[in-house]
Amino acid sequence: MFFYNLRLARMSLMKQPGLTALMVAAIGIGVGACMTIVTYVYALSSDPIPDKSEELFAVRLDSWNPDEPYWDNKPEEAPEQLTHRDAMALLESTIPTRHAAMRKAVYTVVPDSEDVAPFLNIARMTGRDFFEMFQVPFLYGGSWDESADANAESVVVLGRETNEKLFGDTNSVGETVLLGTERFTVVGVIDAWQPAVLFYDMNNGETNPVEDIFVPFTISDRREIAGAGNTNCWKDEQIDTYWDLLQSECVIVQFWAELETPQQKAEYQAWLDNYTEGQKALGRFERPTNNRLSTVTEWMKVNDVASNEVLVVMWVGFLFLAACLVNTIGLILARFIAKAPVIGLRRALGASKGAIFRQHLLEVALVGVVGGALGLVLSRLGVMGVRRMLSDADRLTGMNLDLLFMTFGIAVLSAILAGLYPTWRVCQMAPAGYLKTQ
Amino acid sequence: MELRPILSAMWRNRTGSVLVAMQIALTLAIVVNCMFMTKERVDFVNRPSGMDIENIVVADSVGFGSDYEHDRTIDEDLRLLRELPGVIAVSPTRSIPMSGSGSANGFAGSRDDDAPRHTANYYFVNEDILDALGVKLESGRAFRDTEVRRADDPDLDRLSPQVIITRALADKLFDGEPAVGRLMYDGLGESSEVVGVIEHMFGAWVSWSDFDQVAMFPRRTGGTQTRYLIRAEPGRRDALVPLVETTLSEANRTRLVRNVRTMEEVVSNSYEGDRAIATTLSVAVVLLLSVTGLGIVGLASFTVRQRTKQIGTRRAIGARKRDIIRYFLLENWLMTTIGIVIGTALTIGINYGLASAFEVEQLDYVFLVIGMFLLWLLGFLAVVAPARRAAKVSPAIATRTV
Amino acid sequence: MLDMQDISRVYRTDLVETHALRGLNLSVDAGEFVAVTGPSGSGKTTFLNIAGLLESATDGRYLLDGVDVNTLNDNQRSRIRNEKIGFIFQSFNLIPDLNIFDNVDVPLRYRGFGGKERRQRIEKALEQVGLAARMKHLPSQLSGGQQQRAAIARALAGNPGFLLADEPTGNLDSLMARQVMDLLEEINANGTTIVMVTHDPELARRAHRNVQLLDGQLASPDLFARPAAADDVDLQPVA
Repeated sequence: MFFYNLRLARMSLMKQPGLTALMVAAIGIGVGACMTIVTYVYALSSDPIPDKSEELFAVRLDSWNPDEPYWDNKPEEAPEQLTHRDAMALLESTIPTRHAAMRKAVYTVVPDSEDVAPFLNIARMTGRDFFEMFQVPFLYGGSWDESADANAESVVVLGRETNEKLFGDTNSVGETVLLGTERFTVVGVIDAWQPAVLFYDMNNGETNPVEDIFVPFTISDRREIAGAGNTNCWKDEQIDTYWDLLQSECVIVQFWAELETPQQKAEYQAWLDNYTEGQKALGRFERPTNNRLSTVTEWMKVNDVASNEVLVVMWVGFLFLAACLVNTIGLILARFIAKAPVIGLRRALGASKGAIFRQHLLEVALVGVVGGALGLVLSRLGVMGVRRMLSDADRLTGMNLDLLFMTFGIAVLSAILAGLYPTWRVCQMAPAGYLKTQ
Repeated sequence: MELRPILSAMWRNRTGSVLVAMQIALTLAIVVNCMFMTKERVDFVNRPSGMDIENIVVADSVGFGSDYEHDRTIDEDLRLLRELPGVIAVSPTRSIPMSGSGSANGFAGSRDDDAPRHTANYYFVNEDILDALGVKLESGRAFRDTEVRRADDPDLDRLSPQVIITRALADKLFDGEPAVGRLMYDGLGESSEVVGVIEHMFGAWVSWSDFDQVAMFPRRTGGTQTRYLIRAEPGRRDALVPLVETTLSEANRTRLVRNVRTMEEVVSNSYEGDRAIATTLSVAVVLLLSVTGLGIVGLASFTVRQRTKQIGTRRAIGARKRDIIRYFLLENWLMTTIGIVIGTALTIGINYGLASAFEVEQLDYVFLVIGMFLLWLLGFLAVVAPARRAAKVSPAIATRTV
Repeated sequence: MLDMQDISRVYRTDLVETHALRGLNLSVDAGEFVAVTGPSGSGKTTFLNIAGLLESATDGRYLLDGVDVNTLNDNQRSRIRNEKIGFIFQSFNLIPDLNIFDNVDVPLRYRGFGGKERRQRIEKALEQVGLAARMKHLPSQLSGGQQQRAAIARALAGNPGFLLADEPTGNLDSLMARQVMDLLEEINANGTTIVMVTHDPELARRAHRNVQLLDGQLASPDLFARPAAADDVDLQPVA
């Protein structure tokens, strides 16, 4: 019966190609427009590290100004970064399974070869745990060892791109590279890795690329380096030198901890509270104790990764789809009412309401499938448009199976939703009414 | 023509009429809100910057290696850049206005501890900054070249004795009193004398509420980095970009020259998201109007086909072609109007919803009027062709059994 | 076969109440060929719709093959229409988009027969009406008489015990009308009960038994041969 109905549906749709095209277009355009923006929002709001996002915590201590909260719009939150001295203190804790302080820096890479011009690279100063904590894949070698962190050794993990520039596509572990005026030994090269949202540091754009150079965080404690990223200060203190900054109340460091169990989390929270209590005794941390541990997804919410503007556009997309659906309902209803005599005849010949219902629902589902295909094409076109407009969209808007299913799902569901009322109406038609007037 | 028979025909086919009205209502609501939000974005992007953005070229310089000498590099760069054809003025700067990156600090208009502090974007510039940005000096004077602290000055990191500020900052600091000659204090109690007030300019962050509170200090940036603002004579900017790049790169190999580009690019980059939203919303408006228009054409064509016999009968009993056309136009106008009435409420409702959930501004009702007019026009245009087809129905059809 | 007791049907609108049938009593035995005649507005169409289970009586009892159809739900009624009743309409009611084969196929599909069985039944039915060679034709490619024979084949394909014909020759010229009547007689001779509604007394005479409807009731047998009105008015049930 399914294939019989499919044949009837096809015939019926082919019979009035204009009306069919309109319905398909309405659903296609609605779904296409809606999915274009959903694709973008989806990338912004999906979990960038689903295996571990509940065990990774952004660590924040409220060391801010006693007179005013850090955030105007969410006064309950702590600043998004730590002071350098607090970060160094937190690294002493042995409670987290893994943890890492991190900060951005700018390095000039000076290639040994004369053929390659020196270039600037954003580097991440962080701990050895960074890579395992965030499941960063290695192409060659691996992270540096604990002594490198402890002694601020000049070791570096390169990104794939920089490695290719400097060493071709070869295993460069053991080679050295001149960063600014200092020579670093390569200990590892990471493979392509780019979370859609740069969850571990969203201060300068949520969708920035992953850094291509990684060096021990402790280097920033021993040598003067050109930091990048945000420096936020509240206290009036004389900061003339790099070392002044490290000792100041300015927040400059991101800090992450991996806590696998709730007990571990509670223990760590207590440890943090204890630490800030101790600091209060020294005249710091004058605000009420507010030390925060946020999971990756919580942290993305705090940072408003999907901004109000983007969400507005998404709602407009949904409304747009609704308008297209109302349009489709009208067209489907018109077409079904036109078919009333034949439907009456089929009922007279013994078709049950259910059979008529299934036949026509299949017809609208078919419209949904074709509309979905059109919507898919249109949403890809739309995404191409978004890519032209937004420089960060390239990384965000790849096609994946989820989105494919979502597009077809929404299209077929929309079509069925739009077809439900007309189909129901068709089933209510008294079979006798139309037999004489054909 | 009498409305009553049309109304009763619509009442009998109320599902169809309700659907058309709903379609019109939803379209109106979406189109009006989208147009309004587009206009908001466009206005936001088009706020006057106070600067001659069209004619400015910017460049970054980053020193590296042990041979690098910061002050000498800047001296040499300034000399070379000023000699380039078409250059009006050059100033080093710590960061580029409207680029999204910059520094800010709190300043007060008096030494009092409880004097209110106002946040200002601050820039480190030289004596040519007013010409380099093309900003208008409202009162006071520009910096003198002797006032500009070099990077090797031991007092570099103390607050500069002179400052030029924007009118917006001056009004906040000194409550609208003349600012020139007054002192501006930082949190450590150091002060700068306001030597000039400029009418208006943007700071670093275009979305910041205090975007026009700017202070400029006559000094170089320490460390190894600096940026340049290079203003060209009208029409000579584009030729200047490659010239700046090669000139700076060849002059000194102990530093990197990066991001030589027009300030227009910098600004357009900062407004990228706003532009994208404006474009997306306008595309939505056009698409939705098309979908709705075609939908009405489809439904009206269908109605005409369904009523062929009825139309033939009307023709047979003496209706003129124009009566038939008028009937359909009027019927459609009624449905559109009902839709517009419902749509007006829906428009305001959606605006209210967006306003409370996402801080969208309150609707400007001009757009509602424009939207109504658009939909009336759309409804009319969409039904013209089907109505004309109806008028072509032969009166002879009345006597035929279909 | 068919037993109607005291059947009434009232159509109500906001303004009027129309009594289409008023206590109709009729019973038809298996194998009979009964013609139901009557002038316009006498309730013929209503009778047909009720007899064919297309609508329900307001009042009364209707047993079809011993089953009280008033107790059946919509699905069960559909099933009886499909299996036990064959319809023949004045305007043929073939589906214009389907060829003859597929038209005959329609009720068999709802019966749930397998492909082979359907094919056999369709071919047999079309042979019976002399259209075996035309099964790939669309209805529009056939003459009126051929179309009505195709419709009869559709009614026969499911082997119903009971054929309901509504003015089966109403849209045909006299030659074709005669052929169709011959076919109906032949079908009846093979054991199928036929109830035919017509306002043509000529046609009615070819049935075994004539029943006349007048104002929604069975007229007494001696009231015969009333002049038929020119037009037929349809009453449609109010949904």
